[in-house]
Amino acid sequence: MEQEPQKQTMADAAVPQPPAKPECPDNPAASNEPEQVLRPEDEALVVERLRELGYIE
Amino acid sequence: MQAKPNIILISADSLRANHLGCYGYSLPTSPNIDAFAGQGALFEKVFAPGIPTQPSHTTIFTGQHPVTHGVVAHGGKAKLGRGTPFLSEVLLENGYTTCAVDTLFRERIWFGRGWEYIIDPSLHHLFYASVTQEELNDRAIHWMKTVPKGPFFMFIHYWDVHYPYTPPDRFRGQFYKGGNPTDPDNHELDEWWDHPVGAMARDTWLRTANGLITDPNYVTALYDREIRYLDEGIAALSDALEKQGLSENTMVVLLADHGESMTDHRIFYDHYGLHDCTVRVPTIIRWPAGNLKPGTRFAPFRQLSDIAPTLLEAAGSELPEDLDGKSFLPQLVGKEEPTGYDQVIGCESTWQSKYYLRNSRYKFILARVPDLLGNPDRELFDLEADPGEDHNIAAEQPQLAAEMEKELEAWIAAKMEAAGRTEDPVTKEGPVAVEIWEQHRG
Repeated sequence: MEQEPQKQTMADAAVPQPPAKPECPDNPAASNEPEQVLRPEDEALVVERLRELGYIE
Repeated sequence: MQAKPNIILISADSLRANHLGCYGYSLPTSPNIDAFAGQGALFEKVFAPGIPTQPSHTTIFTGQHPVTHGVVAHGGKAKLGRGTPFLSEVLLENGYTTCAVDTLFRERIWFGRGWEYIIDPSLHHLFYASVTQEELNDRAIHWMKTVPKGPFFMFIHYWDVHYPYTPPDRFRGQFYKGGNPTDPDNHELDEWWDHPVGAMARDTWLRTANGLITDPNYVTALYDREIRYLDEGIAALSDALEKQGLSENTMVVLLADHGESMTDHRIFYDHYGLHDCTVRVPTIIRWPAGNLKPGTRFAPFRQLSDIAPTLLEAAGSELPEDLDGKSFLPQLVGKEEPTGYDQVIGCESTWQSKYYLRNSRYKFILARVPDLLGNPDRELFDLEADPGEDHNIAAEQPQLAAEMEKELEAWIAAKMEAAGRTEDPVTKEGPVAVEIWEQHRG
């Protein structure tokens, strides 16, 4: 059975902490960039919004 | 060697043609796709008759224009008629083992037609478009190794390049010229928050521990990293074919259903609007046994509706009568000189209800309903002088605009009559998502 995503609000979603040290040894420019993580709660919110749009059922 | 070729149809959702090296991009997003193109044939001017995902894939699989098959919107009311020929179904009937490594059947039921096997690793994700090329390739390669006993048709639908742009962390640092991705004083993306998809991005995948991503150049870099990740997947699939000894007589078609607007025309990281960044799509075919001259580039206009008849002809199948597309197989294998269309026509009816008519010099865009971006209902672009389609010259060249509009309306009327329609499907469907956009704006 497909799992229904939980409703999520901005207030509920904790902002992830920055990594202590980005690990991209081959790519020095990477250390200046934020770590980008699509957390499960973000993914659930994406699904919820796209359902509202009728993009997915 | 079996007489009928295997066919692998790869759709890279939202892959913009001119962000690939082989289509002229300056950044090294696609070394493997470029090499793949060098081994086969590249079509420079293929256009989507319908956008976005659902109308376009319906056209790819039916060989019909959206005005004919009726699916003009993503999430619209129209359904594909059961009697409409469907590529996988026809190939199945002609002795092919068919397999979709895909999720589209979860959106619309007709995408499940004609598949003996459907493999859907996206079930491991909350959002099916989060499925990665690695997950899809794992299953596709395993299936190819173990299942088919004769010719097979496989469809692989990659979502990596579609938003949310969340490339693997190992690509961090690539394709970004520098600056501060999360500068709170950068407001270049603020207009995007007025759109529901933009607000969704702001509330989810643009959030980082350093703050909200605000630099459009950084978002574009994320998109390019997704292409680079996809590019690795194309290489892995290609290697697997080679190792299995399947490379020679497998026709591999790599295309996109539509492109992507970065910030072009005030459309942010999405696929609506009938500009070339979105309706012109990459199309590359490799088929060593077909005697394709490696590195061939085809310049004439073609449309995605030509894919189904071309693949059916390659498979030795009889073509259904009611296709709008034309096979380019004889040209592909060097039996005929390259030819194409003088002009191409397409439509959308999701965030906007519009048609376009494009020839080698001009594009005319006609809105059935005024759009929410405030563009005029009639736009004319001189693509020679203005390839970015930034300057509407409809007022400067009213006669040309009127002529193109007349031609477009005549084409729509004829196509409707041929399909037995009494109402223009774009008018009938309307911009299906616009109400939500209006509500979002409040």
